[in-house]
Amino acid sequence: MNEMNETKAPPLRLKSFMSEEDGWGRAAGRETHRRLVDFVESKPGVLIFRIATEGIRRIDISFAAESVVELARRYRGKKGFYFVDLTDEDQRENWAAAAQRAGQPIMSWNDHGKCMVLGPEPSQGNVDAFQFALGRQEAKAAEYAAARKNVSITNASSKFKQLWEQGFLLRRESAADSGGVEYVYMRIR
Amino acid sequence: MTDAAVRLLSLFNQLDHATRRVVVEFEEDENGVLGYLGRAGFFESLSATVEVIPRRPAYSRALRYRGRNPGLVEVERIDRNCRDSNLLTRLTGAIARACDRRPDVGELQGAAWTILAELIDNVFSHSETPLDGFAALQVYRRGNCLKVAVSDSGLGLLETLRPALQKESSRLANLSDIDLLVEVFRRGLSRHGASRGCGLKGCADKAIKFRAELDVRLPKVRVLLVPEVSGYRPNIAFCYAGLPLIWGTHICFTLALD
Repeated sequence: MNEMNETKAPPLRLKSFMSEEDGWGRAAGRETHRRLVDFVESKPGVLIFRIATEGIRRIDISFAAESVVELARRYRGKKGFYFVDLTDEDQRENWAAAAQRAGQPIMSWNDHGKCMVLGPEPSQGNVDAFQFALGRQEAKAAEYAAARKNVSITNASSKFKQLWEQGFLLRRESAADSGGVEYVYMRIR
Repeated sequence: MTDAAVRLLSLFNQLDHATRRVVVEFEEDENGVLGYLGRAGFFESLSATVEVIPRRPAYSRALRYRGRNPGLVEVERIDRNCRDSNLLTRLTGAIARACDRRPDVGELQGAAWTILAELIDNVFSHSETPLDGFAALQVYRRGNCLKVAVSDSGLGLLETLRPALQKESSRLANLSDIDLLVEVFRRGLSRHGASRGCGLKGCADKAIKFRAELDVRLPKVRVLLVPEVSGYRPNIAFCYAGLPLIWGTHICFTLALD
């Protein structure tokens, strides 16, 4: 079985990890963070968690920073977290402010498959590689290099590695045709 | 007036807590300031050992009429041991009712919730005091504005921030109180390191978006931050240094009604 098939879990309903309908303050954020960590640790085979915010009235920036943003930072490079249907503009702004401060990007996907990055954006030099990776479930450096005239495999590999280190992508090892190891990069969705 | 009321309340309770004898003498009867403070719920939160001349109101108009004036949210106690999760809803509800002529009232209500959530959470997280904090709101129809004030009796923002900055950034540590305070709101600074401090910066960003003035009183300085398109800047802040000591962080933001 493809390893990727084990990576998706049912939506993580954030509300069920909160004590109240409003996410207010650092202490509440830390409490939610602890519950989220327990949940994530109970699903060792899952790499990517989609977070649904339905039922949550409001969150403030401190709550956002201590709960999901801290979770994403804790597991950066190992597991990914993204929002679905984050339609509330005020909430989106607060998640983004917290993510920006922490230097931890978090993806927000809508129904139409459009991705918005909350928090820091990829550097100018890595935007194209990021967009390439977002457009497919998996991407290899060789595929990206083959699709662009002016990008070498080494250069492509370097860009993907940076995106992985900065929390924009996940990756896993795979056996290369040459017999060595190559990395397969995955969008967080 | 509402910001002055909660600041005075904090000051009187601080003095009383420091075992000073506090006497508050009103020159007018209940038709003046005494009446306003009584209606705003001032005396319910004033330490019982503070003496009031001529006398404390015989009954509490705040208790009797609490919540009935849409233009007023009476002084609310911020008890660090018992968080009232409806407090934010009451305050933001009053803001939405007062600003219902503004086309952006829906967004404003969300932003106001975030601002108040951060300010009040700071009282719980940082003030390190046994004394209660306070919040109050007043609509001024003639002045076309509303004021929301949050006050605590802790050490003050800068007193908790400066020791951490000595280790992390000598440039920031050497700033004057006023310049450092502006940086707290403009860039976000925290005693817990660079990844924190987003709360007050987020407050300021939202306040700027809705053209709100922020008035911040710390133990000995006061800064009035007036928004411009690019944010708050020290050179357009109105600064007052060398003020009489009032412990704590006292923040008031003023919003236009339409």
